[in-house]
Amino acid sequence: MFRSRRTASDFRAEIEAHLHLEAERLQEQGLSEEDARASALRAFGNVTQAQERFYESGRWLWWDRLGQDLRFGMRMLARSPGFTAVAVATLALGIGANTAMFSYVNAWMIKPLPYPQADRLMVFESHDTKKGWTMEGLTSTASFLDFQKQNTSFEQTALWAGWSFNLTGDGAPALVEGGRVSWNYFDALGAKPMLGRTFTPDEDRPGAGHVAIVGEGLWQSRFAGERTIIGRHITIDGEPYTVVGVMPGTFQFPLMGLAHLWTPLALKEEERADRGRSSVTAFGRLRPDVTPERAGAESAAVFGRLERQFPRTNTNLTLLVSSMTDLIRRKEGAPEVMICLCIAGLILLIVCANVANLMLARATNRTKEFVVRGALGATRGRLARQLLTESMLLFFFGGVAGTLFGLWGMRWIASEIPAHIRGYLVNYGRVDLDATTLGFTLAVTLLCGLVFGLAPARENSRPDLNRTLKEASGKASDGQRSARLRRVFVAAEIALAVVVLISTTLLVKSFIISVRPSPGYDPASVMVAQLALPRTKYAQESRRRVFSEDVLARLHALPQVVSVGAASAVPFGGFGRSTNVEAAERPAPQPSDRLFAQLTAVSTDYLSAMRIGLVKGRAFTSEDAPGRSPSVIVNETLARDLWPNEDPTGHVLRFGDGLTACTIVGVVRDVKMDQLRPRPQRQMYVPLAQFPSATLGFVVRTAGDSATMAAAIRDTIWAVDREQPISSVEPLETLMAIVDSGNRVLTKLMVFFGVLAMFLGAIGIYGVMSSLVSQRTREIGIRTALGASPWQVMGMVFGQGLKLTSIGVAAGVLSALGATRSLAAILYQVTPNDPLTFTAVPIAFAVVAAAASYVPARRAMRVDPIVALRYE
Amino acid sequence: MSTQEARERLELLQGTLDLLILRTLIFGPEHGQGIARAIQQTSEEELLVEHGALYPALQRLEERGWIAARWGTSSNNRKARFYSLTTDGRKQLVRETARWRRLAAAIGRILGPEARRS
Repeated sequence: MFRSRRTASDFRAEIEAHLHLEAERLQEQGLSEEDARASALRAFGNVTQAQERFYESGRWLWWDRLGQDLRFGMRMLARSPGFTAVAVATLALGIGANTAMFSYVNAWMIKPLPYPQADRLMVFESHDTKKGWTMEGLTSTASFLDFQKQNTSFEQTALWAGWSFNLTGDGAPALVEGGRVSWNYFDALGAKPMLGRTFTPDEDRPGAGHVAIVGEGLWQSRFAGERTIIGRHITIDGEPYTVVGVMPGTFQFPLMGLAHLWTPLALKEEERADRGRSSVTAFGRLRPDVTPERAGAESAAVFGRLERQFPRTNTNLTLLVSSMTDLIRRKEGAPEVMICLCIAGLILLIVCANVANLMLARATNRTKEFVVRGALGATRGRLARQLLTESMLLFFFGGVAGTLFGLWGMRWIASEIPAHIRGYLVNYGRVDLDATTLGFTLAVTLLCGLVFGLAPARENSRPDLNRTLKEASGKASDGQRSARLRRVFVAAEIALAVVVLISTTLLVKSFIISVRPSPGYDPASVMVAQLALPRTKYAQESRRRVFSEDVLARLHALPQVVSVGAASAVPFGGFGRSTNVEAAERPAPQPSDRLFAQLTAVSTDYLSAMRIGLVKGRAFTSEDAPGRSPSVIVNETLARDLWPNEDPTGHVLRFGDGLTACTIVGVVRDVKMDQLRPRPQRQMYVPLAQFPSATLGFVVRTAGDSATMAAAIRDTIWAVDREQPISSVEPLETLMAIVDSGNRVLTKLMVFFGVLAMFLGAIGIYGVMSSLVSQRTREIGIRTALGASPWQVMGMVFGQGLKLTSIGVAAGVLSALGATRSLAAILYQVTPNDPLTFTAVPIAFAVVAAAASYVPARRAMRVDPIVALRYE
Repeated sequence: MSTQEARERLELLQGTLDLLILRTLIFGPEHGQGIARAIQQTSEEELLVEHGALYPALQRLEERGWIAARWGTSSNNRKARFYSLTTDGRKQLVRETARWRRLAAAIGRILGPEARRS
């Protein structure tokens, strides 16, 4: 397009050369110099016209006019700083919200996972064809190993299990998150170590390889980033391991969470042969020519054979081949992010309607200017272009400010996600303003600028010369069409705001419902210290028992301690485990019909320290000592599932691999163990004294402040065992907040969007009403002069505002009825058409809108007829 | 030459100027004045080309990529902008020539009998 850009002076030189050449030729034919020149000019025709035609045919004109428009537009924006500030600020809010939300959509739903050919990575999910459940991970290690041998679909399949390691030596004892992984785990993901190597097949055998790979972060913080780390011995769970490699900090496996240390999985022979159980998860890399469907069909065929071969363990069980990308996106909260982007999109529409309305109002006041320009020969297209340029300028500034606001929003969201959760997010939840996001912002800004700039440009570029010039003030009752357009805009704006408000209210309400009910215990002023005892040092049960009893006694003696307790797993602590349970008096169930329950071993005072309500029977006492017949306390759900309509106390329950028999001594209330929005879960408690645990959570109910208490708890534990790593000492409420952080961020965003929508809707109606009043000043003056009372005038204006509001609100409620259905998946105990929300929100909004139109109505009431009529 | 003479010459039909320019340039690069001169001379002074009309046409052809332009020196040592035919221009000339021949023949057939009578 710009290829043949030629300057006007170049063109002039060419014409000059032409005239010279022609004149010289004529002189050769005998004409005098003067005649030759005149003749050449005559033959050429109109020189000026030729130059003008050149100018108009060139791109110069276009650029020149654009420059003019831009300069003029800038002047107009600078002349009304209030309008410009409001428009740019609201646009920045709308565009920024979209930029921030889109950056997450981009990071979590558009960008591929950070592995080579990530679309070929598949995760194996166990599926029960009869009961319909699906879970990540394996239900039978042996069956998977059969599949691994027999399949032809996968280049590699790798196994992993998340693990916490006790790291001692080289500084304070530390609990390090990581994983036990099969030797090809890193290769299958396509990840390379930054130093050293990954594991070899030989090292992935029981007892063979005491080798480890450390993450860059741990390498830097604990081993000072020394390259001599390769080949060094470190102490993991009390045993020496040789470091063979260092993984770069960018390597991450969101399904595992934060990981800084890896050792070979080294499955034992009995684990490899186990068909009834598995504690590992598996993924694989498809061969390039195999589709996920074909791999799934092959897996179904293999598991069909296994089902016939091992009916006792494999009945109804199959292995689904699912895309790793999809699974990670689902876990990251892709639906929530999409809903946020949709709501941000609605906000932007409201903002745009608002800005278009402001532009229309302003243009109405500039009618005279357009009329004069039209009279001086500006074409309609030229005027429309001028107006469009002005609106594009506004949107451009809004876009720039919005990008900055969006960046800030992205940082804010990132800061709201706790580090622990970030481990499960691709790229640790970091999002940045990359080319895709910037492109999106630019496209959205330009599109909105064009669409919403066109309406005012179209409306105002055809002023009626005669009528406007005749009316001396130039602003009386003209712009009927433009006024109608603005009413349409403002009604649409109110409708959109109502949709946003209803949606956000539903989401906030479901969050409040999810946190309001008691978790079943009292988490306030409870400190939790978690640790895992090394298997070697605490191999004997008695040593574990002594450790926990010693720590409990010392904690109890601390000042400001109200009560203490210990459990193998505390709520939201991460040590929870499940076990199979059955009623002793009934025949053993089929493996696929087994019931599972969360199993917690607790000290005698744990239930009272946590304030978990006892419904029937008794709590544990010192009677439940080692050597005595074991007792168990169940929660209401487990009691109901095993002995419906019966008093469970006194019955015998069997659990675990060894089907240990215990007598039920009590029933307690259900508690929330790992989710704030759970379905009822079966739970059971056994005495810690009879079942000493290697994982321990000490709970300390305190009257003192948490920081001093945390330090005191650490010292107490180290007083018992100087080498014992403590994974965390935190208030229980913090642990709960971490789990719920995603919903917390979502809720804060929803509150922000809701308030913004309400605010924008209110300023929308305020703006329209006040400019209508100022346009009708003369009319109101005449009405008052003819005897209308101030109250009648106010009623007239207010009534108009009310009419607009009710149309908008009604349209909004109807749209919301349809729109909120898409929220169903992420709502908790709130129906998408929650009647309370659908009544309260429109009423509240109508009140706000009425208040917004009351102010201009008051002004109309005070119009002085003398002033209004003299105003001309 | 007087205005009288000029008026007796044939006005160019719409759209034919482009074709004539392309045709003229087939003999090699030429500047604007040369093109105007050549059209007049080859048509045995029958066609009237207002020299000023030539330049917008040249501009248009250049933008379409049918001709290319470069400043050079004329035979009498004056700086002038020389135009030459591009490959695309050559193809366009072939197309346009064929089209023009068909048009002229068709019009000729319609006007035929009258032409014989006169």
